Amino acid sequence: MGAGKIIAGIAAAIVAAEGVAGFVMGSSSKLLRPPGIQSERDFMARCIKCGKCVEACPYAAIRIAGPSEGSAAGTPFIDAREQACRLCPDFPCVEACPTDALRDVAEKHDPHMGYAKIEEDVCIAFKGYRCEVCYRVCPLIDEAITIDFEQRENDDIHAKFIPVVHKGVCTGCGLCVERCAVSEPYVPIRIVTLAEDGAHTGGGGKGGGEGGGAGKGNGAGNGNGRGNGESGNEGAKG
Amino acid sequence: MAEGKKTGKGFPFSIVRHVVQVCVLLLFIVPVLVAGWSLFGGTVGSNDAQNTPELVFPFFGSLSSSRLFGVDLIDPFAALQVAAAAKTFTMEMLLGLLPFLLIYGLIRGRVFCGWVCPVNLVLEVVDWLRGKLHITVEERALPRHVKVYAALAVLALSLLLSVPVFEALSPISFINKGILFGSMVGGVTLLAIVVAELFWGHRVWCRSICPLGGFYEVVGKVGLVNVRMEHDKCIGCEKCKKACLCDPEILDAVVADEDIMVRAGDCMLCGKCVEACPTCALSIKPGRVGKGKSHV
Repeated sequence: MGAGKIIAGIAAAIVAAEGVAGFVMGSSSKLLRPPGIQSERDFMARCIKCGKCVEACPYAAIRIAGPSEGSAAGTPFIDAREQACRLCPDFPCVEACPTDALRDVAEKHDPHMGYAKIEEDVCIAFKGYRCEVCYRVCPLIDEAITIDFEQRENDDIHAKFIPVVHKGVCTGCGLCVERCAVSEPYVPIRIVTLAEDGAHTGGGGKGGGEGGGAGKGNGAGNGNGRGNGESGNEGAKG
Repeated sequence: MAEGKKTGKGFPFSIVRHVVQVCVLLLFIVPVLVAGWSLFGGTVGSNDAQNTPELVFPFFGSLSSSRLFGVDLIDPFAALQVAAAAKTFTMEMLLGLLPFLLIYGLIRGRVFCGWVCPVNLVLEVVDWLRGKLHITVEERALPRHVKVYAALAVLALSLLLSVPVFEALSPISFINKGILFGSMVGGVTLLAIVVAELFWGHRVWCRSICPLGGFYEVVGKVGLVNVRMEHDKCIGCEKCKKACLCDPEILDAVVADEDIMVRAGDCMLCGKCVEACPTCALSIKPGRVGKGKSHV
């Protein structure tokens, strides 16, 4: 009986440790969430990990986070490179959420899951190649991603076609990441998730760059939350 | 067990209960399979929209929340945790938690524990295994009301941490959502429960610790279906107490001829006591009766 109590004690300690570790690690989760997330904190307070958004997604883009995500384990996320969000017109995932962890989106401009960020050193467009894949696949073409023209160095005839992400407009759906033609040494475009963005800017919004307001007539009712309206792409100017 | 069955005409509670428990698990699996999806989270998407469990079946979801003919159903305890964590309560959440609260409230709160919860099913296997290994454990390792405090602690922690705490640890999730989505949430908890069950106390998790059981114990204070005792037939053998899946003490009053109905919120209507009774003195009947001795 004594041994039994010791074993049970150890079992209880493991559960307690799992719980504590989960909540400590949970705060560091930077997952890309499905559309309708308002903030990572709000999402974590409301999500009961029921999985209905997973079962509602016609593209099977929403997956369940593994144990390495701490208290965010069991919550839904999108691996953009694997399968990005298609911004369905009726947002079945948002509609399926029973606790409003996902809410307040009516059309494709509304979600703010994060924004795309281009690594200029790796993106081939910055090297002078014609690519524009991210621009072409963007559901908000000419709004969230536009093309800037720039003279190639030591070349009087040709121009560079530089993709420019407009942070306040970009929904963070990740289709550009899924389709990006480059994967070596790494994919030069990634989604800065809402959680990451919140953690880095602290909501303060160190708005750099010039206004990327080109054609962002989204007029969506819900506020874009944090540091919006600024161009998320630096170095578009030569 | 063999002696329990000798009454012959009794309702085979345990068998029916296990069939129901398995059917509950299947209920969530079927929509996924009908949609052509894989279990354990193995579904791979394509560039074209494909069928979803939601589109092909009138019911889909998990034990935490599901949808039946367009109506959202939410585990009431999960909804309370969200209310505490998000400091909000919407009409949508209220309407979502009411169906189950009413159903379990009207029957008997912990009927969930006995007939729906997959952990109960796992522990039936552990019971069998413990018997095989000839391990003896404590019958009452912890007082049964501990789980009510566990439920309160979960709600308090949810409020404090702004996270629905039990949903991050629930062993029910590991079985239900592990099969559906490959979720590992609650796996360690379930492992710990099995260890505690094997070496420490008989049904110690369900009887005394599980916060969800604690919540349903409170709900189960009322309920229109109850275990009744006909004292004329009782011979005081206490086989019912040995068989009880909750705490044997919840049968004390009826065995001692002080009451004719089991009133404790713990009772999950598993029917073990009814099956065990050699004289058919116990039965499960609808309706509530006032406290008192059985009138002749």
